[in-house]
Amino acid sequence: MLKDWFAGVKKGTSQEIIAEKYYTTAVKKYDAIIAGAGPAGATAAYFMAREGMDVLLLERGPYPGAKTCGGSSIIAEHVHKLFPNFWEELEYERLISHQAYWIMTEDDAIQIAYRSTRLSDAPYNRFSVRRVKLYEWLVKKATAAGATVRFNHHVSEILYEGNQAVGVRISKPQDCIYVANIIILADGANSLLAEKAGLSRRVSAHDLSLYAKETIALPAEVIEERFSLPAGHGAIIGLIGYPTAGFNGTASIHTFRTSININVGLAVADIAQAGITPHDLIDRLKAHQYIKPLIKDGITTEYGANVIPEGGYFSIPELVHPGSMIIGDAASLVNGVHGFSLAMWSGFFAAQAASKAKKHRDFSVKFLRLYQQLLDESFVMQDLRANAPQAKWLRDVPYFFDLYSRVANEAAYHITKVYTIPKKAKRHYIFKKITSMQPIGKMLKDAWSFLKVIR
Amino acid sequence: MNVDCKLKLLEFLPDGEFQHVRILDAELCRKCDAVLCLTLCPSAVFRWNYQHETEPPVLVYYRQCIECGACRLICPKNNIEFCYPNGGFGVTFKDGISVYLRPYTPPEMP
Ligand SMILES: Cc1cc2nc3c(=O)[nH]c(=O)nc-3n(C[C@H](O)[C@H](O)[C@H](O)COP(=O)(O)OP(=O)(O)OC[C@H]3O[C@@H](n4cnc5c(N)ncnc54)[C@H](O)[C@@H]3O)c2cc1C
Ligand code: SF4
Ligand code: SF4
Repeated sequence: MLKDWFAGVKKGTSQEIIAEKYYTTAVKKYDAIIAGAGPAGATAAYFMAREGMDVLLLERGPYPGAKTCGGSSIIAEHVHKLFPNFWEELEYERLISHQAYWIMTEDDAIQIAYRSTRLSDAPYNRFSVRRVKLYEWLVKKATAAGATVRFNHHVSEILYEGNQAVGVRISKPQDCIYVANIIILADGANSLLAEKAGLSRRVSAHDLSLYAKETIALPAEVIEERFSLPAGHGAIIGLIGYPTAGFNGTASIHTFRTSININVGLAVADIAQAGITPHDLIDRLKAHQYIKPLIKDGITTEYGANVIPEGGYFSIPELVHPGSMIIGDAASLVNGVHGFSLAMWSGFFAAQAASKAKKHRDFSVKFLRLYQQLLDESFVMQDLRANAPQAKWLRDVPYFFDLYSRVANEAAYHITKVYTIPKKAKRHYIFKKITSMQPIGKMLKDAWSFLKVIR
Repeated sequence: MNVDCKLKLLEFLPDGEFQHVRILDAELCRKCDAVLCLTLCPSAVFRWNYQHETEPPVLVYYRQCIECGACRLICPKNNIEFCYPNGGFGVTFKDGISVYLRPYTPPEMP
């Protein structure tokens, strides 16, 4: 069936040699090929294999999760609905019962924390997980259900017959092709495959954030003591303001069993502007007076960096094409920093569409469109749509996190500090101080636009 | 901790035959005053060449690339070509878990 495609290829090239091999050894045709064994791809493979489909899952790394890093935590409710009681199988790290936000400047921090042991009752709320464990668990589930997985296989392009996707090319060292009725792109953020195939535009440097991370090993008891946690419980702290050196962006601390992850990230376009390298951003944060005691005597065991799509709803490309679908980060399905559950659910929906298309033996967009429909009706798209203006707004008010972290901390300082002036005069003084940082009219305007966005 | 020490914590299997991140035209770098690639790259792949009079002004240490893919989006002259390394090559993360320090097994052939 690839005859037409090969007819267009010049004679004497390596393609021709592959073509010959293809016709002589009768290469097997899969029901579906999935490029990328992340949460999106592995979940899609699992649900398709369970429907009896013949699935090939291709991953460029040598083991699950080898090529991604940073974070991470999962939302129990979202995963539980796809994989009931998953916590009995997945080797998670800690049960999150402490969530906090720190609004920071060089010298100060406003710390807002919520902790409750109610968050640690089944069906739980959030777990911290190590990426490699999460990916491995999902890939094992897919293979147990009957999917074929190949590691060290880098998909270099999607092959087409007309506008119908019919296979994939694997780069060296294999240098081969695989064919299938359905090709699923699950190659993560900054999808080179979708871009090369013309299924999506090149992602903008404003819509993609680069996060650097460091994993710091500490004994379990030390972590529990420093974050005042009951045994086995964990904390996630979001850090705003200081960590991103004057630009909008976020940092976070995730606690694992015997280590913690520190991440800092901002838009790729802003890092270049900020003039500070990602590794220096991490060091700068680690040296902050309120972070330093948390990681004292810890040993850094891993450094890394990775990108995450933050363009939101408006940056989502067309997801369904003849013979192919785009899922997970490749489709920009990330809400805030939550990407795992959206990736997994998109994989689940794509599997349903694929299975329907197989039943009807029609691999055009007719039945595959079910994927888009299911996604639109689900929490995935509804939440993304609700947060749609956020990404643009953060770009329009680039100083928001930095300036208002300062304003809030300045106000907190003067409220806390005791002066020998009457209360009324003090209020007036604080007002003067704050409006000297940003004129009141401008501040009200920003507050108003902020409320409009988060409403 | 400087970036070279950080990178020592990672495992790399560099591909001696294929450079997956490249600068297309050294002359464009000579005229570039932004040199955003030097700041952006989290693994200091791009380095200023002090022999820039006679050699390409920006060196590309592609063997230590951690494959974030950001550089191709930032060069104002669109002068960086990036794709992922061939199957099995490049960096591997293991979340600080040492059991993943496995010996390398060569990719299987079809
Ligand atoms: C620093 C950081 C912290 C994060 N923290 C969290 C968190 O705490 N909670 C959360 O929910 N989300 C978090 N996210 C987001 C989350 O990582 C992603 O949304 C999620 O991993 C998306 O899954 P995916 O399967 O679509 O893509 P990925 O997980 O990126 O998987 C893509 C896979 O495809 C492979 N691949 C890519 N190209 C090819 C190719 N050409 N051929 C073969 N294989 C290929 C890659 O090796 C990879 O294994 C974080 C992201 C970052 C960067
Ligand atoms: S930003 Fe682009 S043009 Fe400028 S030095 Fe780097 S690669 Fe060269
Ligand atoms: S992909 Fe990332 S790590 Fe590699 S050279 Fe580009 S910016 Fe540096």
